Formats: sequence, structure tokens, C-alpha cells
Amino acid sequence: MAAKHGRGDNKRFLFEQVALPHLDAVYTAALRLSRNPDDAKDLLQETILRAYRFFDQFTKGTNCRAWLLTILYNSFRNGYRRAMREQPATSTEDFEQRLEAQSLIADAAHTDPEQMLSGRMLGHQLETALDTLPPEFREALLLVDVQELNYREAAGVLDIPVGTVKSRVSRGRALMREALKRLAQAQGKTGT
Amino acid sequence: MDCQEYISEYLAAHADNELTAQERRAAEDHLAGCPACRAQLAEERALKALVRQHVGIVKTPADVRRSIRAALAEVSERGFLAWNRRDSFGAIASPRQAAEPLDKRLARLNRPWMWASVAASMLVLVVLIAGLDMFSRRASRGILVPAFDNAIGKFARFERDFEPNVPPDAFSDRNGILYAWVVDRDSLTQLSDKVDDVARAYREADMPADIYHFEQSGYGLAGGRLERLSDGRAVTYTLYQGYQGNILSICYRDARMAAPVGAAYAAGVHSFYDYMGYSICLTFYPTGHFVSILISRQPLQQLVWAVTLAETAIAQK
Repeated sequence: MAAKHGRGDNKRFLFEQVALPHLDAVYTAALRLSRNPDDAKDLLQETILRAYRFFDQFTKGTNCRAWLLTILYNSFRNGYRRAMREQPATSTEDFEQRLEAQSLIADAAHTDPEQMLSGRMLGHQLETALDTLPPEFREALLLVDVQELNYREAAGVLDIPVGTVKSRVSRGRALMREALKRLAQAQGKTGT
Repeated sequence: MDCQEYISEYLAAHADNELTAQERRAAEDHLAGCPACRAQLAEERALKALVRQHVGIVKTPADVRRSIRAALAEVSERGFLAWNRRDSFGAIASPRQAAEPLDKRLARLNRPWMWASVAASMLVLVVLIAGLDMFSRRASRGILVPAFDNAIGKFARFERDFEPNVPPDAFSDRNGILYAWVVDRDSLTQLSDKVDDVARAYREADMPADIYHFEQSGYGLAGGRLERLSDGRAVTYTLYQGYQGNILSICYRDARMAAPVGAAYAAGVHSFYDYMGYSICLTFYPTGHFVSILISRQPLQQLVWAVTLAETAIAQK
């Protein structure tokens, strides 16, 4: 049953209370999808205004973040992604190539052993490893691990079956482990 | 359960607390006797925590936050389309809309044909949806339809930037300022004035005045455009917006067009196609050689559902 909210100021007040606390989460996802702060801002704005317009269709008691992310991904699929023809890696073969390239970059950039042990370096490695993942695995991981959605909510956002989310998360983490291991090896630290 | 089964089928879901009670019991039984898989689970949870900690949520820049709040305030006060054209729009509702009481608007919606037709449509819908999965498997793969390709191009363009131009008296340029007639209303009241105004504008241009009532499927009328094709034929573009996506209706006269082969389903005047990743409903009007193409990115079943539930002028006849 969809929650019916009042109009005008009341609707805006409710929207600000319920939806805007998730602004950072939606912006994060917009940034990840568009890979460009200007596009992310446009995508975020379109998402929030569309959500506001259809706020009466939000089901009270459900996860508003998941609802907003569903709108965001739909907006991205419907408009932005087609405008951005350049696509990231789409297969595990691409993953291998990107990982190889990133390992070489990491190897060349390896100059400070102390920095490697720092959290900053680990964060950088995690980002790099994430970037090498095929997008379908990366999106599933980000929704579950970063956005903290459950599998059912992530399935709704991605418009795929729950079982597919489960397998993508599983495969995505396996690829992450492999990527981190290879990056560490490239930097002379196997981690084992 | 062996280690391979646990790792491939259970490990990630276990770390994410997504196992059912029965699955969790089976997983814990296996872990009780398997230190290697216990270590794998600990590693999986550690990786999950690391990603959350180091990738994390980015703070929205203050200027972006301010512009979002400003846009919300503007939409709240002036209306959705007014925001879309915020740089050039003045304001707001037409005098007739502002003067007409809400209950009168709603009363105009309470037309007997509307609900009778919806009830009849529901009967068709049950049969239609039930068969659609089977039919859609042999959908229109491999065929090329120029009219559909054009529709895809228009859909992509209007999803990014749709500027209604009908009715002209409600959407006119006055001293360099465009006056919007659309205000932010809830879905039910959107049925009234906007539909009537757009339909009237189409009718005056000798075009079909059919506006789909997609509200029950979660779409609201965004507005209409009246244009001419390169050979001078009139064409209407009507955009419906929902939080899951948009539906664009394109209508023009084409005496030679026939339904392409490969329809996933055909029912009366409607043929439904799964075409190049888009869902398309092709409709032949009984008179005037008009055709309409409805196009959306949503699954075909959703478009069938929306069309069947929608109230159209065709259903009124």
C-alpha cells in the first residue's frame, strides 16, 4: 500500500525528512555510475526531483534508500548510459586485461613501503580492485557492501532476480580477492 | 555439504546474513567441522568490512546540496515542468485551473465508461499476461523496423529534454518568458486539466486526441508536443513519466504501414514488440490511417499491463 502524503509544504517536509537523509548515498552511487562530478550532479538532481514528484508512490516502511537508488539506476539506464557510449570492462577477459594494466601502474607507483601499509594505500588498492571488476559484479558489490542493501533490495535496483544478485556478489568478492592479491604481488607484497 | 558447495553456494550469502534459517543451520553444521571454511567466512566478512570502510559513502558537496534544495523548493512552489525549464519559465497554473475547485475536477473524472472499461480490460489482461511470457520468447529478434528505430531515437532525445508545446495558449512566450501551465499535483488530479488541454490541442490539429491514463500503472502525463515530419505530416509526441521510467507515445498518419512480423503479442488494434531492448506497442487506429507507437524501456509485460489498464479514447468508442 503506497503511503499518501500531503501536498505542497507537507509533502516537501515529509520528503526532506524521509528521502534527503539518503542524499549522500545517492550521490555516491551517481558518482560511481557517471564517473564524472558534473554528470553525477545532474543525475542526482534528476533522481531527487523525480522521486519528489512520485513520492506518493513510495511505500511507507520500506527502505527509502533502495527506492531512491532504483530511480537513480533507471534514470541512468534510460538516459545517461546511452549518452556515455564508452563502457567499462564487461567481461572477465576485460577484467584480466584491466587488472594487468592496473598491476603495472601499481608496480610503477610503488616507491614508499610505509605508505603501502597505511590505510590510505589499502583504500587505494580496494578502489583499484573494484574498478577492474566487470560492472555487473561491481554494482552488486557496491549496493550490498557500501549501500548496505539486502539482496532483495539490490535486485529491485538492478532489475534482476535475487538469485542473480547472490551469484554476482559471490563472484564479485572472489574477483576482488584475486585482484587484491595480484595488486599486492605487483607491489612486492603477496599478503600470504 | 562439502567445502566446494559451501564456498560456491553459501559463503557470500552467509557473510551477508542472507541465508534462510534452514540454510544457516546446514552451513553452521558444515563450519563446525571445517576450519578451512571458517577461515574463508572470516576472510569474506573482513573483505566486506574493508570495502565498506575504505570505499564508503561520499559526502555530497555543499553547492550540490544547496542546488538540490533550491530545485526542490522551486518544484514545490511552481511545479515539475516549471523546474525543468527553470531558466526561462515564469509561472504557474492557468486561471481556469486555479479557479476550478478540486472536487469539480475529480467529479469530471468519475465517468461511468472509465470504470466499466477498466473492468473489461482486466479480463483481457489476465489472459494476455498469462500468455505473454510464452509469446515473448519468440519476439522480434532479427527484424529491422525503421519506424521503431526512429521511435527509439525520439525516445532517447525526449527522455533527456522534453519541452511541451501544446496547448499553445498555455505555453506561450511573453516578453521572453515562457509561462508553464503545469503545476505539481498529485496523480489523480493530473488526470483532469492537463489531459483535456493536450487532447484539445491535438484535436484542433486534426490529430487523434487520445491520451492514455497510465496513472494506475504509475505514470503521469508530462506533456505533449505537436510537430511536423520532414514531408509535412503532423506528428504528436506525448510523454508519460513514472518513477521507474518513461513512456513516449508517437502518433502520425501512415496509410502504408502494416504490423511488422515478430510481434510478441497482438490483441485487436495493438501489437506488442520486444525490439532492440525496448518495449513497443504499435496501434492502428480504426479510422484516418493513424498509427501510434508507444515505447518504453520497461519490460514488455509492464507495457502490456499499462496499456491494458489505461483509459484511452479508443476504449471510449
